[in-house]
Amino acid sequence: MIEATKGGGAARAALPSLRGLRAIWHLIPRPLRIILARVALIPMQLFGVLLVTFVLVRLLPGDPALLLLGNMATPDAIAALRQRLGLDQSVWIQFMHYLINVLHGDLGTSIFTSHPVTQDLLERAPATLELITYAMILTVVLGVGLAILSVAGRRYGFDRLTRLYGLAAGALPDFWVGLLLIFFFFHIAGWAPAPFGRLDTYLTPPNTITGFYTIDSLLTGNWADLGSAISRLALPVITISLVNAGAMMKMTQTVFANVYDSSFVQHARACGMPESRIVAMSLKNSMPPIITTAGFLFGFLLGAAVIVETIFSWGGLGQYAVQAVINSDYPALQGFVMVAAIVVLLVYLVVDVLYELVDPRIRI
Amino acid sequence: MSPETKTQAALEVLDLTVAFGPSASPHIVLSGISFQLGKNEILGIVGETGAGKSVLAQALLGLLPGDGRITQGSVTIAGKPIAAMSEGERRRLRGGTISLIGTNAKALLDPVERVGKQISRVLRIHRPCSRGQAWKETIDLLDKVGIVDPERRARAYPHELSGGMAQRIIIAMALITHPAIILADDATLGLDATVQVQVLDLLVERARQLGVSVVLITHDLGIIAHYCDRVAVMRDGKIEELQPVEHFLAQPQTAYSTSLLGAARAKPTRGDRLAAPVASAETGMDKDRILVVDNLCKTFDIGGGQPPVIAVDRVSFSLERGETLALVGESGSGKTTIGQCLLRLLPPNSGVIRFDGQDIATMEEPKLRPLRRRMQMVFQEPYVALNPRWRVSDLIAEPLDLLDRVPQTERRRRVDELLEMVQLPQHLARAYPHELTAGEQKRIGIARALATKPDFVVFDEPTTALDIRVRAQIIDLIRALQQDMGLSALFITHDLNSVRSLAHNVIVLNRGRIVELGLTEEIFEAPKDPYTRTLLAAELPIEWSDTRRSGAGRSPVVALGA
Repeated sequence: MIEATKGGGAARAALPSLRGLRAIWHLIPRPLRIILARVALIPMQLFGVLLVTFVLVRLLPGDPALLLLGNMATPDAIAALRQRLGLDQSVWIQFMHYLINVLHGDLGTSIFTSHPVTQDLLERAPATLELITYAMILTVVLGVGLAILSVAGRRYGFDRLTRLYGLAAGALPDFWVGLLLIFFFFHIAGWAPAPFGRLDTYLTPPNTITGFYTIDSLLTGNWADLGSAISRLALPVITISLVNAGAMMKMTQTVFANVYDSSFVQHARACGMPESRIVAMSLKNSMPPIITTAGFLFGFLLGAAVIVETIFSWGGLGQYAVQAVINSDYPALQGFVMVAAIVVLLVYLVVDVLYELVDPRIRI
Repeated sequence: MSPETKTQAALEVLDLTVAFGPSASPHIVLSGISFQLGKNEILGIVGETGAGKSVLAQALLGLLPGDGRITQGSVTIAGKPIAAMSEGERRRLRGGTISLIGTNAKALLDPVERVGKQISRVLRIHRPCSRGQAWKETIDLLDKVGIVDPERRARAYPHELSGGMAQRIIIAMALITHPAIILADDATLGLDATVQVQVLDLLVERARQLGVSVVLITHDLGIIAHYCDRVAVMRDGKIEELQPVEHFLAQPQTAYSTSLLGAARAKPTRGDRLAAPVASAETGMDKDRILVVDNLCKTFDIGGGQPPVIAVDRVSFSLERGETLALVGESGSGKTTIGQCLLRLLPPNSGVIRFDGQDIATMEEPKLRPLRRRMQMVFQEPYVALNPRWRVSDLIAEPLDLLDRVPQTERRRRVDELLEMVQLPQHLARAYPHELTAGEQKRIGIARALATKPDFVVFDEPTTALDIRVRAQIIDLIRALQQDMGLSALFITHDLNSVRSLAHNVIVLNRGRIVELGLTEEIFEAPKDPYTRTLLAAELPIEWSDTRRSGAGRSPVVALGA
């Protein structure tokens, strides 16, 4: 009643050339493979970004020529400007022109400031990037540190304190925290400098190397600038971090607690591992979601820092973008969207690379 | 093997009592546990779920979870009570003097660290030495625990290892510091039988060589019979009896031990009833065949440009009415996939499945639906397969409701009938799945499958992960159902002992292919295929005899002198 076929395995079709390529690919060390695979995608993504910003501008209502010349323009003048701007040509030709211009660093001229948009952005982008980079670092240190403290120190009741902070951080708006800090530390205590700009007014900015005042002044040995830049960064950075570290902490807490109670950490304890090693090991295993959240937060802050920038008269990208929107300054807006997209792209590149580096289970 | 004197004992537990919960009304989990572990002795601790075996292991390490605490008694390791030690001393003790080998090795390894580093890390916290020295010792030890190409394996991450390999890594991690005592807490649970004996052989052999004392915690009496010198039987947080394994197997002192031993033995074969269906090579439209499978193939795409995995490779067999056919093989052999293909829970790639004369392999779903009531499946993990928000009565009645409109009284009558059929008390009808024990959940799974009075049932691992006595009860139940209902069944398992008690015929699968098939008795008596022989050799019957695994037979006294 039973009959069976005993036979060899089914024929396995093989693609020798593909397999050969894969073998060569796997000869490359894993970290390098991760970076290569991600960087290879960048040109395509950049092209996508440029296409989207271009389309966005085309979607805006109204004729740019009309907008530039105002209501009193003659039809001849409009036609002449349209020709000069290339608006009479087909969309694809226009896109080609736009691409070529962007590749040459030409983003047009701002209607409001009358400067080239590239120049405006180059002045303002470092301000914002410096602010949110330090804010991100502090946010991660604060959020992750508190999360570890609350989980590893739960028998001492630390978790109750951090829960209170999580609740408060989720409820407080950033402008209010910023104003409070200014009120207490500038107005009452007098410890912090006035909330106007990145540097004391009587100082000249350090020579531009990276655009970050702290790094540039350090590199050029300009100690007065360094001190001033740090003291001016302190309050806005603390404001952003206090507000955003709550979310970071809650997320890390969940992940970290899961790892901290998992079987392999229990086993490490049974192997006599000291507590500091246990925490380090748990943290390493909690890294992927922390990296993702940090990357997301960075992209988010690029635009969201505008309120803090305004309060501290920071002169950053966010303020520039808001100005551009209010004044219908389309070239400026287009430039901002492009720069923001590129920064986010680069941040996600770093996030993906880090993510794959810390988790050996991801196959490349 | 007589109780050692105090100076000889590696570990001494005296009147140990452990409680959880508030001190006003504590929940006593262990009470009055006393035993001594001699130097180089292997002590087995056996008991069913909830007996307190794992809590005992945790108490010995001083790592009780939550608010668990020792309320009475003492644990003395190498002459020093752990209660008198500082936190630092206790930390050095763990992994240094007393090492743990836990269940499910893959979950015990840090997933983002190379395994070699994890082992040398343990060495370096207990015995300061250079990185290079620690790495060298790790490689040496990996070689000794039977890992081929240790240099390369040491650089692997846990996810790149098989379960057996991971268990060897854990063993190496326990041995690297040359501890005096090893606690193995269900160390081979969930491993294939062939891998289990390899791992246990290795562990016991190394322990004997190095003069390490071992506490082997298990619920498998076969492991006790084959590897241990003495055995402690635990029940409800107490040690019921403690004596040399030989005596325990021959003359257990308590009724509980007797019942455990009885449950672990294979049932006598079912004599004349077994002889009914005889293997015949011809195919054809024999009316007595409920199921004919011809050249069944199933592959799974795993993506990434890799060739698909061939899970089932040209499998053909048939099943007569009233026959029970067992499908045995290690994990990954395609047993469950075949079962799911037969019920069309998975679409087969090619091949013919004739159920009662109709080819269902390619049948359209609307035409197949009426046939589904005649073929059912008892799923492997009953708890996962039961809706946690439904009461037992609704769970059992669900298949009835899908059939035709049944009046309430009739519905209730059928539920009672089915509960009785699977030998469950009627009051359980109001219970929810989480309130049931594992054995009761299995029975509910069986009742659900039987609700539509099917002609053919697939049992997927019905005895896996159950306690000894519960497993025996489930086997008895299935036997009774075979007898009463004349059920045709496909019985998927890797528990060969239950195959002996249940199946008329058996198919041995290896990597999706049938390597041997025929009458159960014949195959078990005289296996022809080497793979079948390997499977059978890995069984651990509970008789104390010359068949004890090599290296396990020496008494501690002899080993001490050696």
